[in-house]
Amino acid sequence: MTIALAVSFAVSTCIGLLLLWLAWPRTAVWSWPLATALGAGLGSGLSAVLLFLWMLALGPTRGFPLAEAGLLILVALAAVRRRLAGHTGAAPVTPSHARASRELLVVVIGFLVTLGAAGAAFVSHLRRHPHGEWDAWMNWDLRARMFFRGGEAWQTAFSPALPWSHPDYPVLLSSLVTRTWVYAGGETLAGPALVAGTFTFATVALMAAGLAALRSTSQGLLAGLVLLSTPFFILHGTSLYADVPLGFFFLATIVCLALQERSGSATNRFAVLAGIAAGLAMWTKNEGLLFTLALVAGLLIAGLSGSRWAISRRQLLAFATGLAPMLVLAAGFKMALAPPNDLLSTLDLERTFTRLTDPHRYYLVLGAYGGHIASFGSNGLGSVTAVLTAYLLGLGVNRSELGRSWVRAVTIALVLLLAGHFMVFVSMADELPRLLKSSLDRLLLQIWPSALFLYFVVVRAHEEVRSGQPITGPAEVGQGVRV
Amino acid sequence: MTRSGVALLLILLYAGVSTARWVRRAAAWPASSRQDEITAYESRFKLLRTALPARGTVGYLGHPEPTGPTPNDSNSAALLHFRRYLLAQYSLAPVLLIESTDHELIVGNFYPESLPPAPQGFRLVRDFGDGVLLFRRAPS
Repeated sequence: MTIALAVSFAVSTCIGLLLLWLAWPRTAVWSWPLATALGAGLGSGLSAVLLFLWMLALGPTRGFPLAEAGLLILVALAAVRRRLAGHTGAAPVTPSHARASRELLVVVIGFLVTLGAAGAAFVSHLRRHPHGEWDAWMNWDLRARMFFRGGEAWQTAFSPALPWSHPDYPVLLSSLVTRTWVYAGGETLAGPALVAGTFTFATVALMAAGLAALRSTSQGLLAGLVLLSTPFFILHGTSLYADVPLGFFFLATIVCLALQERSGSATNRFAVLAGIAAGLAMWTKNEGLLFTLALVAGLLIAGLSGSRWAISRRQLLAFATGLAPMLVLAAGFKMALAPPNDLLSTLDLERTFTRLTDPHRYYLVLGAYGGHIASFGSNGLGSVTAVLTAYLLGLGVNRSELGRSWVRAVTIALVLLLAGHFMVFVSMADELPRLLKSSLDRLLLQIWPSALFLYFVVVRAHEEVRSGQPITGPAEVGQGVRV
Repeated sequence: MTRSGVALLLILLYAGVSTARWVRRAAAWPASSRQDEITAYESRFKLLRTALPARGTVGYLGHPEPTGPTPNDSNSAALLHFRRYLLAQYSLAPVLLIESTDHELIVGNFYPESLPPAPQGFRLVRDFGDGVLLFRRAPS
């Protein structure tokens, strides 16, 4: 069973990695760590979509791993063909600016020690609570059991008879858990644990590798270190909820947008990948739709306010191209399979208006936002927001990074996302204090990796402080070459 | 020490505190023989699963009654009732459990040692022990 699970992980990661290798623009620098982290998450997401389509056609049958292995062979053949044709991509990342300074050595050691400890704590916690927390067994894994045990009747998982299980929620996580069981040939608690571990640690890897490619190795490792040290991130990873996977897809979208801007107008492939990642976020949780809308608004505002609208427009179209298939799938699911959303179906115009005009609700939500953000990531020493504020004061801001269009777009998107959640709380929540207490930290956690990535992009790196010169990551090469 | 050095030290300190926390959690490694609460709870339903249809909908009745002498007691009882129901549904999926007596079969999920009577119009099919019962509608 362990081998089967390892194979399921290897197959989805290899599919993701090879597809990235095929899609990677020739003009952009190939980075194995970045592509592996991105490939592990995107590959898992694509496998979840494939299994869902497979179930629609044939049900949750045992032939799926064979079909997926066939796909892997096809993708591998395409990759070999590309290599034989001489399309080997640009040279690998050489961290020329990452001289082995004392700071870097300290950060590397700190990162590795914390990674080992967090990994051990993650496994230990999961061994004590292998079924995860409430939402795991009342929603995500319940649905996976419905898929796996239901046979031809797997769509019972969307029965409106169980409204508390949120049968309208997207199915990426449940599909991935089902997939591990299909590979293993039976249910095992190691399946959901593998999925949780993949997304938790792929998020850390994507953060570190993305920043190493775009800024510097020490900046990437520091960001990864902070993420690994955020108690709620690791602990919530073990709850087997969908918030950490959703956070991965938010981060993947943003990393791809950053890579897109670094690649200049030569290619729009990273924008397509960003669209795919945003689509997978929509396939993970309903909040993914709000994120996508906020991001499109952010891209539009940043594009229109900048001087390069023609390029922004092309990139927006490329983003929409990547997003479109997932949008069709999500819309089809909502229209054909999912019952109406519980929040929306109980929406009462009069009651909503009363809530919207009640200042006390705004006061409550605002107070909760302030309190939860200020205390986010508390570990006994202090909150991570306080630590990062002090760090920013110590190092300052890299103004050239701050001025980038994608930074503006993502900042606007994250603010809009928070504002959107704010209005959902004000206008829809029945038991507002209870809902704020149970879900606000999770909503903040979803955007935490993206916010942290953005922070470490704009804060000055130690190398910059030492040399007095801004550094630009090695991904910024080959601009102006059309692919 | 420079300002940037102090800032780096602050992050390393934050990471150090979290790492100590992870080490403590990792050290609390559970014995392999220890069964977690939900797995233990699920094992109560093992036999019942074989007696239920492979799929379909059945009724559900369970302890505790979601009421209490004070609103706080009521809330706690309702939460526990809901949790026990959710875990029963999780264990018995893909069969759907609906809290009603409108179905041919009813799953009873009561406290061990208690002997609740069959709901009106139903007869006991089997007592699986540990408070798990199966009722069937009696022929009228």
